[in-house]
Amino acid sequence: MNTLRVLLMLAWRNLWRNHRRTFIMLAAISVGVWAMIFMTALTQGMVNDMVNDGISALPGHVQVHHPAYRDDPNVNNLIATPDTEISARFGAAGFRQWASRVKVPAVIASEREARGVTLLGIDPDRERGLTFIVDDRVEGRFLDGVSDTGIVIGRKLANTLETDVGKRVVIMSQDPNNDIAERGFRVAGVFDANMPSFEENYVFAGKQTVQKLLKIGQRVTEIVVLGDDYRDVDGLYRKVEELVDEDVIVNRWFELDTYLGTMLRVMDGFVLVWVVVIFLALSFGLVNTLVMAVFERVREIGLMMALGMKPSSIRGQILIESMLLLVIGLAIGNVLAVASIEPLRSGIDLSIVAEGMAMMGAASVLYPQLRMEDVVLANVVVLILGFFASLSPAWRASRLEPIEAITRVD
Amino acid sequence: MAAVRCIDVCKTYLQGNQEIRALDHLSIEIEAGGFVCLSSPSGGGKTTLLNAIGGLDRPDSGEVWIEDQRIDTMGKSELADLRLRKIGFVFQAYNLIPVLTARENVEFVMQVQGRKAAERRERSTELLEEVGLAGLEDRRPAQMSGGQQQRVAVARAIVSRPTLVLADEPTANLDSKTSDGLMDLFEELNTKHETTFVIATHDQRVMAHVPRLVRMLDGRIVDDIEQHAA
Amino acid sequence: MNLVVRLAWRNLWRQPRRTWLTIGAITFSNILLVFMMSLQFGMYNLMIDNSLQAFTGHMQVQAPGFVDDHRMRQTVPDVAGLAQSLRESLTLDTVAARAQAFVLASSEERSYGVAVIGVEPQFERNVSSIPGLVGEGRFFDDRDAAEIVVGSVLARNLRVGLGDELTILGSGLDGSFAAAVLTVVGIIDSGIPDLDRTLAEIPLGLFQEVFSMRGAGHQIVINAANIDLAPELQLRVEHLLAGNADVVVQEWDRLQPGLRQAIQADMSSSFFMYGVLTILVAFSVLNTQLMSVLERTREFGIVMALGLKPGRLGRLVMLETAIMGGVGGILGALAGSAITWYFSANGFQIPGMEEMAAQFNLPARMYPQVSRLSVSLGPGIVLAFSLLAAAYPALRLHWLRPVEAMRAA
Repeated sequence: MNTLRVLLMLAWRNLWRNHRRTFIMLAAISVGVWAMIFMTALTQGMVNDMVNDGISALPGHVQVHHPAYRDDPNVNNLIATPDTEISARFGAAGFRQWASRVKVPAVIASEREARGVTLLGIDPDRERGLTFIVDDRVEGRFLDGVSDTGIVIGRKLANTLETDVGKRVVIMSQDPNNDIAERGFRVAGVFDANMPSFEENYVFAGKQTVQKLLKIGQRVTEIVVLGDDYRDVDGLYRKVEELVDEDVIVNRWFELDTYLGTMLRVMDGFVLVWVVVIFLALSFGLVNTLVMAVFERVREIGLMMALGMKPSSIRGQILIESMLLLVIGLAIGNVLAVASIEPLRSGIDLSIVAEGMAMMGAASVLYPQLRMEDVVLANVVVLILGFFASLSPAWRASRLEPIEAITRVD
Repeated sequence: MAAVRCIDVCKTYLQGNQEIRALDHLSIEIEAGGFVCLSSPSGGGKTTLLNAIGGLDRPDSGEVWIEDQRIDTMGKSELADLRLRKIGFVFQAYNLIPVLTARENVEFVMQVQGRKAAERRERSTELLEEVGLAGLEDRRPAQMSGGQQQRVAVARAIVSRPTLVLADEPTANLDSKTSDGLMDLFEELNTKHETTFVIATHDQRVMAHVPRLVRMLDGRIVDDIEQHAA
Repeated sequence: MNLVVRLAWRNLWRQPRRTWLTIGAITFSNILLVFMMSLQFGMYNLMIDNSLQAFTGHMQVQAPGFVDDHRMRQTVPDVAGLAQSLRESLTLDTVAARAQAFVLASSEERSYGVAVIGVEPQFERNVSSIPGLVGEGRFFDDRDAAEIVVGSVLARNLRVGLGDELTILGSGLDGSFAAAVLTVVGIIDSGIPDLDRTLAEIPLGLFQEVFSMRGAGHQIVINAANIDLAPELQLRVEHLLAGNADVVVQEWDRLQPGLRQAIQADMSSSFFMYGVLTILVAFSVLNTQLMSVLERTREFGIVMALGLKPGRLGRLVMLETAIMGGVGGILGALAGSAITWYFSANGFQIPGMEEMAAQFNLPARMYPQVSRLSVSLGPGIVLAFSLLAAAYPALRLHWLRPVEAMRAA
C-alpha cells in the first residue's frame, strides 16, 4: 500500500516534468477520445432514427401475420382469428401500444394519374404513437374512427395525383375472389412525413370501411405491438406468442426489415472498430512518450533500483504514469464529447443530402445519441489497450541494470 | 561475524576489444563497524569491488557474503530487498531522485520499506538536521548545491540504519571544506551507530582520514594498512 | 549527399526507436487511408454504374417537369422519331425511347398496381442491362407484340409464370379506358430488389396503342461510353435539341438525386474519420519533433553561436520531418496498395453486409481498386499535416538565444 503511494507520487510528478510532451499527448488522447465518442453518437443517432422511422413505417416492434403474408402480402392471407377476439385478448394483455390492421397493396387513381400504394385500414384511436403520422402535420383532418369514409394520403402522392383535401380519389384492390374491389374516397387529410417514401407509399382509411370494401368481414392482415425499447423485444415477443393461435407467425422487427436489423448490428460492430482504430493511431504516440520517458530517466531508475526498489515496482511506476496520462486524457475527451454533443441535441440539419439519407433509410435531421454503453466501451477499450501498449516500455525500464544506469556518464 | 567477505572474486570487462581484469582473484574481509577506504588509480578496480559488495554487479567467479548471506547468487528482487534493508549507498554524483524534495529523498527508502509516516518524518527531520540541512527540507535537488545534494544522499544512505554504507567517490565533486565536513560526518556516524563504512576514493585527504586503507592495483590488493586518524 | 540532408538523416537515427515509432504512426494511418479510399472510390463508382446501368442511364430527354412528377401527360411527342434522329445526329446507338404508365395488373389470382414501361425492343438493350437479365424465357423483339416481361418478385406476387396471361388496366393519355391482355414471355432476375419487385416492360408500339399515346412517350435514355464522358455528350444533346421547347435534358444526378447525396453523406463521415486520423498523426509528429528540438537546445546554441541562422536550423527540423513523412508515406502507400491489391483479387466482404450493400445496388463482395488518387491522396495529406505540425518546433528556434541555449543541460 505504501509502495503504491510512492509509485503514484513518483508517476504523477514525473508526468509533469516534461509538461510540453504531456500536454501534446493529452491533446492527442483527448481529440482521439472525443472523436470516438462524437462519431459514435452521430452513428448511433442515425441508426436510432432509422430504426425508429423504420419501426413507425413497419410499424411496431413485434408483428403477427398469416404465415404466407410476408411473401405474398395479399388479401387472401388473413389472420383467421376475428378482430373482436383479437381485441379482447390484446386489450387485456396490457401492452404499451398495439393495433390490428388491414394492410394490402392497392392502386389509387385521381382523374389525372394512378399510382400503386399500400392501403392501411386502421383504427385511428389505436394508432397514436404507432405510425409516423403526427396530428399537427396533417392538413385537413386525420381519420375519426374505424368507419370513417375518408382517406388520408401523403403530400408527395397528393402532388403527383394533382389532388387535394376534399377531392375524390378511387381505390382499387382485389377481394379474396380476385374480383376488383373498387371504391371512391374523399381525401380527408394530407400528411407530411419525415421520409419522402412514406408520403408516396402509404394511404390510410378506416378499418371497417376497408374490410367492407375487400369483403373480408371482421378479419385483419396484421397485428402490431409496440414495446419500450427496440433493442430488447424478446420479452414482448414471447408474450405475443402466448396470446395468438397456432396458425399465425410472430416476427420481431429486425426479422421483417432485415436491412435495418443488419444496419443495427453492423453499426454496433463499426463502433468497436472505430474505437480500436483511433486507439491504434494514439498508441504510437503513447508508446513513444513512455519510451522517451524511460530513456531520459535511465539513471534515476538505476538509482531507485540501487536503493532497493524492486523491478516490479519500477514496472508499476511506468504503468501508473501511463494510466494517469490516459485517465486525464479520457476525462478531457469525455467532457469535450458531451459538451460538443449537447448543443446538437436538437438535431443536425442534413437537408442538403436529404434524398441521399433517404436512400440509406434515414431522415434528414440527425439527432446524435450519446449512449452510456458506447462511452463506457470507448473508455474501457482505451484503458485496457493502453495498459497493454505500456507493458513493453515498462518492461524495458524494469530490465535496466542499476550498475549501467548509474555509471553511465554523459 | 564479518560485515563483508569476498572470497577469490574475479570480474572481467570488455572495453572495446580489450579485456580488462577489474577484479583478479581478490579476497577481503571487513569486520562489522569497520571504516575502510579502497583506493586505486582510475580503473584499479575499486568501484567494481564496491558494486560487487553492493550487489549491483555480479562477479564472474568467487563468493561475496554480506554478514551470513551469500549475495552473488541472488536474484534481482532478492538483491533489491537486501539493499533496501541492509545497505546504504552514496554515489559520486546524481544521487537524488530529481522529482522528490530533500525530505522525500531521505524518506524514499523508508517509504519503500513500508515504515509509518510519523516515524519517517521524525527520522528524516533528525537526520537532515544532523547533516546540517535543517530548513532545506522542501527543496528539490535542482535547487541545492552539489555539497548539499551529497549531504542529502548521506542522510538517505543512513536513515534506515543500514549495517553497511557504501560510498563511491563521495567527495569527488566537492570543495575541500565541504569534503572535510562530509568525512567528519561519516566518522561520527561510524562511531555513534557502529555502521560499517566502505569508501572508494582517490582523494588523498579522505585516505588520510580512515582507520584502514586498502590500496588496489589491476584488480588486486597491493597494500592493506591499519592507520590512526590524523 | 548534401550536408544538410546528411545531418538531418543522422539526427533521425540518434533516437531510432522514437523515429521508428513516429514513422510507424504515419505508416499505420497511411495504410488505412490508402485501403479505405481505394475501397470507397471503387464502391462509389460501382454504386453509380450499377444504379444507372440497370435502368436510369446517364441522361434522359424528357418533358419539362416530368423528372419531379412523372405525370402521364408530361410527354415527349413522337418519341421514337426523336430518338432515331438523335441516334443519327450523334452517331450513337445507345439511345432508346420509353413511355410509362401506372396500371392495375391482374393475373387469375392476384392484382397489383404496377408501373409498366414501354421500351423499344431493338434499342433498349443498348442503354439498360435489364434485357440481358432475363432469368427465364426471353425479352420481346417485336415492337407491337402483346407481350410483357416482369421482375421475379412481382411474378411471384402475381403468381404468374412464363406463358401465363396478365391483364393490365389503366387510363390512356386522353383519359380513356386502357386495357390489354398480355402474355408473360420473360422473368427478370436482376438481383436488385427494387427492380425485381416492380419491373414490368412491354413493347413501345403496343404501349402507345393501348394508352392512346399517338406516338408520344415520356423519355429518351442516352448513355455515354462511360460516366466521365456524360457531361460532354449532354452538351451535344442539348445543342441538338436547342429550340425544342417540348423537351429538356436531365442528367443522372437529377434523375437519381439520392445517389450522389448518399455518396456525399458517406464521404463526409469518411472524411471526418480521415481527418481525425491525420490530426492524431500530426500530434505524434509534433511530440517527436518538439522533443528532439528541446534535446538539442545546447547543440543548436553552439552552432548558432558559430553563426548559423535560426532559419537554416528550422529548415533542418522540417527536413527531418519530411524524411519521416516520406518514409512513412512510401511504406504506407506500398503496404496499403499491397493489401488493396490482395483484396482486389480476392474480394472483400464484411459479414452481414449483404443487406446494406443491396440497398445501394452493390454486390456483397467488394473489389477495391488501387488508383493513383487513392494511393497518393492519404499519404500526401498526412505529409502536409506532419510538416504543419513540425512548423511550431521549427519556429521556436527563432526565439533561441545562443548563450542561454549553450548553458542548457
